[in-house]
Amino acid sequence: MDVRNNRRQAGGSSVVTANRLLDGRIVWLAEDGVWSDRIDAAKVFANDGPQGGSERGSEGGSNGGIESVIAAVAARQQADGVVGVYGVQLRDDSATPVPATVRERIRAFGPSVHPEFAPFTEATTNVR
Amino acid sequence: MSAEAETLADAAPALPVGHYAYDQVDRAFLHDRVEQFRDQVARRISGALSEDEFKPLRLMNGLYLQLHAYMLRIAIPYGMLDSRQMRELAHIARTYDRDYGHFTTRQNLQFNWIRLEDTPDILARLASVDMHAIQTSGNCIRNVTCDQFAGAAADELVDPRVHAEILRQWSTLHPEFSFLPRKFKIAVSGSPHDRVAARFHDIGLVAKPGHGGKVVFDVFVGGGMGRTPLVGVHLRDNLPEEDLLAYLEAMVRVYNEYGRRDNIYKARIKILVQALGAEGYRARVDAEFAAMDRARYRLPPETVAAIRARFGTPDLAAPAGAAESLAAARAADRAFDRWARTNTHPHRHPGYVSAVISLKPDGGIPGDATAAQMDRIADLADRFSFGEIRITHMQNIVLGHVRQDQLHALWQDLRAVGLATANIGLIGDIIACPGLDYCSLANARSIPIAQKLSARFASPELQETIGDLQIKISGCINACGHHHAGHIGILGVDKKGEEFFQLTLGGSAGNDAAVGQILGPALPEDATVDAIARLVDAYLVHRNTGERFLDTYRRLGAALFKDAVYAVA
Repeated sequence: MDVRNNRRQAGGSSVVTANRLLDGRIVWLAEDGVWSDRIDAAKVFANDGPQGGSERGSEGGSNGGIESVIAAVAARQQADGVVGVYGVQLRDDSATPVPATVRERIRAFGPSVHPEFAPFTEATTNVR
Repeated sequence: MSAEAETLADAAPALPVGHYAYDQVDRAFLHDRVEQFRDQVARRISGALSEDEFKPLRLMNGLYLQLHAYMLRIAIPYGMLDSRQMRELAHIARTYDRDYGHFTTRQNLQFNWIRLEDTPDILARLASVDMHAIQTSGNCIRNVTCDQFAGAAADELVDPRVHAEILRQWSTLHPEFSFLPRKFKIAVSGSPHDRVAARFHDIGLVAKPGHGGKVVFDVFVGGGMGRTPLVGVHLRDNLPEEDLLAYLEAMVRVYNEYGRRDNIYKARIKILVQALGAEGYRARVDAEFAAMDRARYRLPPETVAAIRARFGTPDLAAPAGAAESLAAARAADRAFDRWARTNTHPHRHPGYVSAVISLKPDGGIPGDATAAQMDRIADLADRFSFGEIRITHMQNIVLGHVRQDQLHALWQDLRAVGLATANIGLIGDIIACPGLDYCSLANARSIPIAQKLSARFASPELQETIGDLQIKISGCINACGHHHAGHIGILGVDKKGEEFFQLTLGGSAGNDAAVGQILGPALPEDATVDAIARLVDAYLVHRNTGERFLDTYRRLGAALFKDAVYAVA
C-alpha cells in the first residue's frame, strides 16, 4: 500500500475504504459492516479507539484501533468482494466524513473534471 | 519481392491503409489470449487467484486498478488506426465505459471506468478488429511509437512504420524480454526532424538512407523522463537495417543482465547507461553483438519487403489545381485560413496535406474524445483520408492524406462537432496526463490546470502572437505528461496532502532535446495559472523578433521569468 494512503494522526478519526472487485468502484465500510459507495454512509473509527489490540501506529501515533480494524476487514476482503482495503484519515472540522487529503477527497467525491460522475449527487464536488 | 510478398501485394485493395494487416495466425493468437484471460478473470472472481497472483496477469493485458475503477489501456501500435477500429473503440466507450476515451502520450487509448467482469468481452471485441492491450503495461518492451506523419511527411527520409511493426513483432511476448527490470520504450523516426522524442526514450531510432539507398539507423539510448530525466546518449550511427534486431537484442540483453533490480527507481536503462558511461555500455553491447548468432537475428530485405507488403497504401491522386483550390478557400475564410496554417503538415505528394485534429478544445480535457467524436472521426477518415487515422504523442489525431481541395470541407465537418480548434503547436496544445483525477500514482491534478490555461489563452489571435510554446503537465514525477520536455513544464507535487505545482523552463523533446530546469518553489494550485500568465507576459515583452519562447529563455536565462512568477506569488 502506498504510504500516502495510510497517513493518519493519533487523536483523529478514519473511515475504511476499498475498491469493489467486480467493477473497481470505490466503497466505504458502513455501520452495518457492508460496503457502501457513499462516504457519508461510512462508519467513522477513532484512530486510537478501542477496536483492536494492536499497539502499532502507522506514523508514530497510537493508531492501534484503526489498524486492527483494517487488518480484520482486509482478512475478509475476498468474501466481501473488495480489494485493497485501507484507512482514510478524516478532517476534524466537518460534520460529515470528509477525507483529509485531496487524493482521498477525489476518491470520495469523484473526479473534479467530471462532476456528473460523483458517486452521489448531493455530494460536494469541491475537492478543495 | 518474395513469392509471399507478391501474393500479399496482389491482395492490396483489401489491406488497411496505414497499418499492418493481420492474418489468421495473428487472429488465432489474439483469440487464444482473450480466452486465457477470460479464465484468469473467472478464477480471480471465484477466489482461486488472489489479488497478488492476479495483478501481474491483468497488467499483462493492460488492465490497471486506478483511483475510481479499472482502467484499460489499449495498444495502438505506432499510433495507427483504421476507421473500423476507431468505430469499435467508440462502441466500447459507449457500451462499457462512460462514453469517452482518453488518448495518451504513448499513442494509446485508455478507458477509465471499465468493469473487471466486462474486460474479457472488451478484449474479444478488440480482437475482432485486430486490436489488443498486450504489453501496454508491465516490465516489458511497450508499444513502439513513431512519427504521426509517417508515410506522409514531406521531410521524411524513411517510412518508420515498417520498422516499428518489425519491432512490435520482435518484442511481443519476447521470451527473454518479458520480465525486464522495468518497462522499456522504443520510438522510431524516419525524419531528420525529431517528432517522436527519440532522445527521451530508452531506445530512440532515427532511420535514414545509407549507402546505396539502404536503410540505416542512428541510435540513441538511455533517455527518459521520470524522477531521473535524461537526454539519451548518441550510441552509434549507420546501423544497417539487417542488423537492427541483432543490435537491439544486444542492447536490451545488456540491460536485462546488468540493469538494477533492487530498486524500482534505479531499474531503467538510463541509470545503467549513466553508471557504465556511454563507452562502457557501448563496449558491452558491442561485445554481445559480436558474440551472438547474427544469422539468427538477421533482418533480410525480403522480410522487410514482406512486412511492408502487408501495409495498405493510399492511391494518391489529387486533381490538378488542388493547391489553387485550397488557396482560394483560405483567402475567402479567415477562420479556415488560421486552422489550415496551424493544423496541417506538409505532405510528400503534391495536392495533399496531413490534417491534425486537435483534441484540446478551449477549456477541454487534453486527449479526451467522446464516442460520438470517435465515430465522426472514423467517418471523416473514410471520406477524406482512405479510412486511416493516426494518434499523436501530443494527444491529437491526424488524418494523414487529405486532398488540398477537400480540406475546407473537412474543416467544416470538424467544426460542426467541436473538433476544429486551431491550436496545434501553440500554447493551447497542452499535454496533460490524467493526474490525480484518475491516476492512483499522481500527487496532484493535471487536467484542471490544463483546462484553466487553455481557457485563459483561448484567443486564437493571442495564441498566434505567442507562437510556438509547449506546455506539458504531469501530476507526478513519473512524468507521463512529459513536463521535463515542456518549454514550460508543470509538475504536480504533494505537500501534506494538498496540491502544489512546480514549474520547469527550457525543456525540449526535439532535435535540441533538453531537460527543463526547475524555476523555484512550487506554487499552490490557485496561483499557478496566474503565474504562468505573468511568465508569458514577460516573454512577450522581452523577446526579439521571431524568437520562440524557448529561444528567449535560452538567451536571457531564468532570472527574468523567476521574477515574473514569484514577484507577487
